[in-house]
Amino acid sequence: MTEIPRCPACQEEYLPGTSFCESCGATIEGLEGAASHGTAAEHQATSPPDDAACRHCGGAVLDDGYCSECGTRALSPRDRWTESPATWVGGVCDKGIVHAGNEDAMALYAAESAGSFAALVVCDGVTTAPASDRASLAACIAARDRLTADLDGTPAVSSPAARVNWWSEALTKACALAQRATVSVAAELDNPPEPPSCTFTAGVVHDRLLVAAWCGDSRIYWLPDSGEPRQMSRDHSLGTEMIAAGMSVEDAEADPTCHTITRWLGADTISAIADIASVEATESGWFMVCSDGMWNYASAPERLRSLIVEAQAAGCTTPTEIADSLVAFANNAGGHDNITVALARLEHPEQLEQFEQLEPISQGAPPDG
Amino acid sequence: MADFTAQVFQNEYLAEDSTDAHAVVSVSCSGAGGAGEQGAAAEILIIDASGSMDMPSAKIAAARRAGAVALQEIVDGTWFAVIAGRTEPEMVYPPHFQLAQMNAETRAAAQAAVSALKPRGATALGWWISAATKLFEQVPGAQCHAILLTDGRQEGEAPAALDTAIAAAVGRFQCDCRGVGADWEVEQLRRISGALLGSVDIVADPADLEADFEAIIQSAMGRGVADARLRVWAPQGSQVLIVRQVAPTVEDLTSKGVALSPLITEFPTGAWGDESRDYHVAVRVPPAPVGSERLAARVELVVNDVVVAKSLVRALWSADANLTTRIDPSVAHYSGQAELADAIQQGMAAKVAGDERTATVLLGKAAKLAHESGNEATTRLLAKVVDVVDVEQGTIRLKANVDRADEMALDTRSTKTTRIRKQEP
Repeated sequence: MTEIPRCPACQEEYLPGTSFCESCGATIEGLEGAASHGTAAEHQATSPPDDAACRHCGGAVLDDGYCSECGTRALSPRDRWTESPATWVGGVCDKGIVHAGNEDAMALYAAESAGSFAALVVCDGVTTAPASDRASLAACIAARDRLTADLDGTPAVSSPAARVNWWSEALTKACALAQRATVSVAAELDNPPEPPSCTFTAGVVHDRLLVAAWCGDSRIYWLPDSGEPRQMSRDHSLGTEMIAAGMSVEDAEADPTCHTITRWLGADTISAIADIASVEATESGWFMVCSDGMWNYASAPERLRSLIVEAQAAGCTTPTEIADSLVAFANNAGGHDNITVALARLEHPEQLEQFEQLEPISQGAPPDG
Repeated sequence: MADFTAQVFQNEYLAEDSTDAHAVVSVSCSGAGGAGEQGAAAEILIIDASGSMDMPSAKIAAARRAGAVALQEIVDGTWFAVIAGRTEPEMVYPPHFQLAQMNAETRAAAQAAVSALKPRGATALGWWISAATKLFEQVPGAQCHAILLTDGRQEGEAPAALDTAIAAAVGRFQCDCRGVGADWEVEQLRRISGALLGSVDIVADPADLEADFEAIIQSAMGRGVADARLRVWAPQGSQVLIVRQVAPTVEDLTSKGVALSPLITEFPTGAWGDESRDYHVAVRVPPAPVGSERLAARVELVVNDVVVAKSLVRALWSADANLTTRIDPSVAHYSGQAELADAIQQGMAAKVAGDERTATVLLGKAAKLAHESGNEATTRLLAKVVDVVDVEQGTIRLKANVDRADEMALDTRSTKTTRIRKQEP
């Protein structure tokens, strides 16, 4: 029986793989879950904002967590954090402005070699259900750890179709594990009448292959530098159904029920089965996973691509910097919801200096979930 | 070592564009020890020995006994003196203008001198206070406390002399004021006790004086923390609206603040024993967008420049009216108690000035507030001055032929508050 990890500050149990305590917000050293596949150092980049300066006025933040000048509360590590698991993958999970807490969550993994392998998981907790912040984080970590659990044992797959099939099954299992994680959180809370719940979105980069899985209305985009950018996911929401029924995108997005999701993870779900889409990336571009706090302010793929171009023009170079620029854009536009943006940069093989061909993987069952 | 704790009670949620954060901060002290244990303590009894104390002579007789009892309660080692208040202040004990140190011998001598006190001359409150201030200067750094007993009003000196004397005494010593009989001015003694962080009360029957003095000295001797201050930090661009002690009595501290920096102000709270006091703090902060959280105040208790207890008053802007419209029960209760004290004091002032219409309205409001908050002591005092017609509506009639002492009791005790049963924060 393994010892249950406990927060050094408040002695509460914490989720393996987290970088901070859900109860008190203390930063936890040595990331258990990530360490299991040797990426602790990479995930240490999960940096809680420990700036001594107030983000509002630049004043000093005191031990009580508030600015000494303007009194603005410093963000807790759960309110906002960034992950930069490799130079070509990064993300920002941010509370936004209007919400009191951050129910969004993300968990990223990337192999060092650019373009070789990455898993980007984003879950958006349902604000009206208590403890959805715990559920979303638990779901993200469960899915990421499933997708990265057995990389060495990944069987060789030759044909693109077979690889898509293999990752489709792996993502379906990851979604099922994420669902199980949200139910566990509900059980820990003695199954409240309104159980904690969240959306599920996971994107896998494997060589040139991009595979998207989603449940709910967080999104996955493929934004090539030239050519047609596209939204790979299709929201499970009343808004999407209204558009399918003939309503214009503008009218549907203005409708108050647009964001009512029709699939989600949680003990009370109607359907927690992820839909899957894939694309073979034939050119350089950005693979993006985001929550609706981002796409509410820029839903069109073209718009998102131009925001990335603007961020680069403004001096952002790393995926994390660019993701942060997009988050800042959403906050400037009102920040009415939590905002999460995760990005993976794909370079065309010819432009990639140190492009390493992955071991070919053969057709076979994905590792056990 | 004294142990302080602070607990905050507030509804931290503010509606969009709202700016005022209200909170009740409850400060408790335990293990305070006794006065003089951490440093020197000094006690002066200022006993009115003017001619009127002989009319009736029961007053001077009671003052002699009360003085002797008070001396009994002053612990050995305490620096002390007894001043007779006459046209000029005169030393009763020690014979010269200095402080003596309490021991069996000095206590017996002082008690003998007090027992021989003879009334003559006029009342000069300002001069008496000045004499105490001078005497306390002989023990710099000591924890200084005085009792001021009078039966009359300031008459032997210019009115401004009292204010000058009070101003010179502020921060030098704490003073509990007592009026015996019904020929003294509530306003004058309240001015002294308010500035010098003490209590004020009427002792209508001279026979009650002994027990009262005993209780005052016991309480003063039980304050082992010589001086504590309430330090309030409020954010840039904000305004501290209210800093008011609301339990056990209402004492407005707002105007007593001393700015330490543009954001930090300290308010005097005097000496502390094992006790609990509640403070109502209100800060007007610049509004922030819905969803933002800002600290409205850091409220700290500071002893010898060390923070011994701290609590945070928060402001969280929300669009949820269910959250923002709720008023914290403690804030509501103590706002009502402060309003009650105000209504009584202004109502009594109007009554004295002959403005019966205003007095009827204000005392009616007071009756309603006292009833609603369950302040039975105040309800009883009010009933001696007014006939309540409809307590729910606050309708009253002023009684005819009211005993002056009952009016003064209502006025002096208007600041006593009932406590609210504490909810979990």
